[in-house]
Amino acid sequence: MTDLFRRLLRTKQGALGVVILLGITLICVFGPALAPYRPDHMDYVSRFAAPGVQHWLGADQFGRDELSRLLYGARETVPPALLATLAGTLAGAIVGTLSAYAGGRWDEAIMRTVDAVLAIPGLLLALLIASALGAGEQTALLAIAIAFAPGMARITRSVALAARQEEYVAAAIARGESGTRIVLAEMLPNVIAPVIVETTIRVAFAVMLLATLSFLGLGAQPPSSEWGLLVSDGRAYLHDAPWLVLAPGAAIGITAIGFNLLGDGLRDALNPRDER
Amino acid sequence: MSLAWLLRRLLLMAYTMLVVSVLVFAITQVLPADAAVTLLGQNATPAALAALRQELGLSDPVGLQFWHWFWALLRGNFGTSMRTGLPVGPTMFTALSRSLLLAACSIVLMLVVAVPLGVLAALRRGRALDLLAGLVSYLGISVPEFVTATFVLVVLADRLGWLPATGYVPITKHFIGGVRHLIAPVLTISLVLIAHVARMMRSETIDVLASDYVRAAELKGLSRRTVLLRHVLRNALLPVVTVVALDVGYLLGGIIVVEEIFAIPGIGRELLIAIQNRDLPSIQAGALIMAGTYAVTNLLADIAYALLDPRLRYD
Amino acid sequence: MTPRRTLLAGAAALGAILPFAPAFSSAEAATATPRQGGVLRVSVNQAASVLNPLLTRVNPEYLVSELLYSGLTRLRLDMTAEPDLAESWTTSADLATWTFKLRPNLAFQDGTPCTGKDVEASFQRMMDPKAGSAARTNIGPVKDVVATDATTVVFHLQGPYADLPVALAYTNAKIIPAAIAKGDMSVLSHSANGTGPFKLVSFSPERQIVVERNPHYWDPTRPHVDRVEVVIYPDPTAEASALIAGDTDLMAETQPSQFGRLRSAKGVVPLRVPSGQFLNVNMACYAKPFSDMRIRQALALTVDRKAMVGFVAEGYGTPGDDTPISPAYHFYDKMPLKQRNIPEARKLLAEAGYPNGIDLTLVASVNPSTRAQLAVAMREMAKEAGFRIKVQTMPHATYLATVWKKGHFYVGFYNMQATADAIFSLLYTSNAAWPETRWDNKKFDQLVEQARITTDEAKRAALYAQAQELMNQQVPSVIPVFFDLLAAKRGYVENYALNPRGAVFLLDKLWLGKNAPHRA
Repeated sequence: MTDLFRRLLRTKQGALGVVILLGITLICVFGPALAPYRPDHMDYVSRFAAPGVQHWLGADQFGRDELSRLLYGARETVPPALLATLAGTLAGAIVGTLSAYAGGRWDEAIMRTVDAVLAIPGLLLALLIASALGAGEQTALLAIAIAFAPGMARITRSVALAARQEEYVAAAIARGESGTRIVLAEMLPNVIAPVIVETTIRVAFAVMLLATLSFLGLGAQPPSSEWGLLVSDGRAYLHDAPWLVLAPGAAIGITAIGFNLLGDGLRDALNPRDER
Repeated sequence: MSLAWLLRRLLLMAYTMLVVSVLVFAITQVLPADAAVTLLGQNATPAALAALRQELGLSDPVGLQFWHWFWALLRGNFGTSMRTGLPVGPTMFTALSRSLLLAACSIVLMLVVAVPLGVLAALRRGRALDLLAGLVSYLGISVPEFVTATFVLVVLADRLGWLPATGYVPITKHFIGGVRHLIAPVLTISLVLIAHVARMMRSETIDVLASDYVRAAELKGLSRRTVLLRHVLRNALLPVVTVVALDVGYLLGGIIVVEEIFAIPGIGRELLIAIQNRDLPSIQAGALIMAGTYAVTNLLADIAYALLDPRLRYD
Repeated sequence: MTPRRTLLAGAAALGAILPFAPAFSSAEAATATPRQGGVLRVSVNQAASVLNPLLTRVNPEYLVSELLYSGLTRLRLDMTAEPDLAESWTTSADLATWTFKLRPNLAFQDGTPCTGKDVEASFQRMMDPKAGSAARTNIGPVKDVVATDATTVVFHLQGPYADLPVALAYTNAKIIPAAIAKGDMSVLSHSANGTGPFKLVSFSPERQIVVERNPHYWDPTRPHVDRVEVVIYPDPTAEASALIAGDTDLMAETQPSQFGRLRSAKGVVPLRVPSGQFLNVNMACYAKPFSDMRIRQALALTVDRKAMVGFVAEGYGTPGDDTPISPAYHFYDKMPLKQRNIPEARKLLAEAGYPNGIDLTLVASVNPSTRAQLAVAMREMAKEAGFRIKVQTMPHATYLATVWKKGHFYVGFYNMQATADAIFSLLYTSNAAWPETRWDNKKFDQLVEQARITTDEAKRAALYAQAQELMNQQVPSVIPVFFDLLAAKRGYVENYALNPRGAVFLLDKLWLGKNAPHRA
């Protein structure tokens, strides 16, 4: 594990990704302590204040400090994206591994259905689910998890299919262990490495998707300072106060880049010979 | 590519559409809205609502409702919009044609930029151009469309005033105006595609360059140019076909946001408006048409792949 | 009684007043007479998806409907009625029977004559609950409509009603052919056949609606422009940019966020008029906890109304005092503005049984965005007094289906109405069309009822003043801010003024000056 981490840091992408994500983590943990104002503190005089000494990143239509809102908002943006991805991955991994384990007709039926669900664009699926469940941070999270599951099922299945051919699984079957046990104890752990890479990259996608749902009014609710909502709120003032959009937009981009870099770094670290 | 293979693919596609229609119907069933209320709006009286529910068959069992809907669908009838009272099918297909124009322009721009960018980046690994390509790729895959679109709006339309901010003009009516309205959304969409394809192109080119037959060709004394064009580009382009096909799904999702921001009356915006207004027939039709488009594109990509590369055999 | 004000931020025309002073050169003065021809491009901020004039619901739809259809009367800038299809009217002494005389030789756009029968059939369709027309509850206490001959229509009312000609100018009270009114109206959702100044050329609800001069219109001098293109811009920034760039000539409505920019743009004339358009925070007076008046009063006391005008209307508005009657209304009663008083609010809350504060969820539809802004600002202001408010936003359709008229605590948004009676009986009397709060106050009902049949101005004003004071004191809903209506036009668009009602545009009266761009 430490070896993997060392190899990760040796890749350019991995190192940069780790640095960015370390920064984001610090903001998630200490953001509220660092923020100069409360995120919902309204100040009539500072409405639309331009970035300056008082408000480093300016202030919004209520005179709320944009920097403070960004710092508080990290907690409402990054951890939910992580959680959504993990939930989606777990659900997908279980389906995929089970399908690979079952094999034959079951495998065929499950995978064709998964393919069918994959024919609905991810954002559209998330959008439909979020509208069905009602707008809110939790439902957006759930929608993303559901939207992610089929894709992850597909990936885990192909990896698990390879694992199934391995001797240790055959040995477990020969020992007469139960199906669940074989799947959980033998197959899943071996499927994990490639899934980790995919998951990391998907977190980036989840950050974007979550922000997009908030932007469309289906995610976090005001006065939350979730970053997608900040962009959405700021858009009306694009001409007079572009910083209200630029700052949270950049924050979303940087976070997603961090996860993408980490994912690429991990892939390289896991396949050291392949130096792409 | 055999007939059996094609038939099997078509059958799979039919199954896909069946699953999608069940799924879409199920989701529209649980949407928190009352179709009768949506239809009659703010001025509905309870009696009128009850009568309308009866008329729409909203009190029928769900299975029966699905069957009625599905049967109409098979005969090409997508129903009537609850919001406008217009037939949904024609509205959605007109909208789709606009989206496809947008998508086609984006794919062309992507090919023009991403293929050379990827190849050059591979040839100059570690140099400035490679780093630039890397940066573009990371930006493209990491910045959501609504942010990119907003940035494009601020810079090109608002600050510089080079482009109209939003809206749509049919190019058949007014060519220059139509093109000017397409630039900003096409730029936004193609950025994501460029990012994906340039990455793919780069890594494929590196692989092909390292392959034995390229080395053999170089040993035979063929010029670098010939080697690049005849071997590298051809072989590297092949997987790109698949990426583009897969990207169509991504593109269709992204188009929802881009069309919304730039007010392009394409299928994405129609669908979003339908979702916001709980216009169930429009939601169902829009989602189905989107999924259908994706399925067809994938099929076409597979056929193209099979034709381009006869070495591949499909079971 | 406050005189009705009509402010124009720029040097623009107001109503029928000439746009230029006589001192100007004769060439410029000549433009003061209507100039015929040209294409007007007007932008609106959301889709005009409903074309059926009986069913239109939002301002862009009203705008389009007004181009294609006419009613018996139209609303002037001062909220009085001007003749439209009806050229004159008389009333019985008891104000319960009204006779309208139609203009001779009226015709629909397809050339068929429009007679009393069409008027009768149109009103009967509007009054049919199954039709779902908002006209049913907004045209006054109409019992029956009868055409006695080709140009005479008699309205029999349930009781005396002084405001009928104004009420008949209601946005949905438009005349359609009797054959359609008596049969299937669905043809009106994609085509039009009205008596309005223009006829429909093309209809793409999300994008653009085009109309051109109607040769059968009753007034040969109008409209002045040959064609109107209604362009939909869902994004407010983009809409303002289009006007500044000269892509459009007139913006029917704009957001405060864009107004500063429009004011400083060259060639653009900003338009602003105080209005009675308002946001209200509705509380269910029929259910706990809001059935306790003290809680409503406490919430009202947490609001800093002047600050609210800044936060929500960006200064383009007037503070409200928990009544829907703004200074723009004829019967506005000036009361001292409620001041923010946290200790008093806290005390009331404690008396009502919530000494440790109260948890509430305030619902706001996302359209318009000012609803959520009000909710967020209210949450902050009320926090100090012990109100812990959670804000929940939702798409407008979900809001209409699940919260509107049903929810216990939500933000409403309404246009100014033509009369005090119209707004009271739309929302607050116990037999209101949309009884959101179900305040059901018998005294209030009586006052409104009495005012309706009183013709003496002073007595009527006194009755409405009492009604306003009652609302101010009992707070069925908190009404903290009235919006000024904001819009903008290019300098060459003449004879156009903002109507405070918000839903009235009268584009047939405007004309394009000689420096207007030529549009194909």
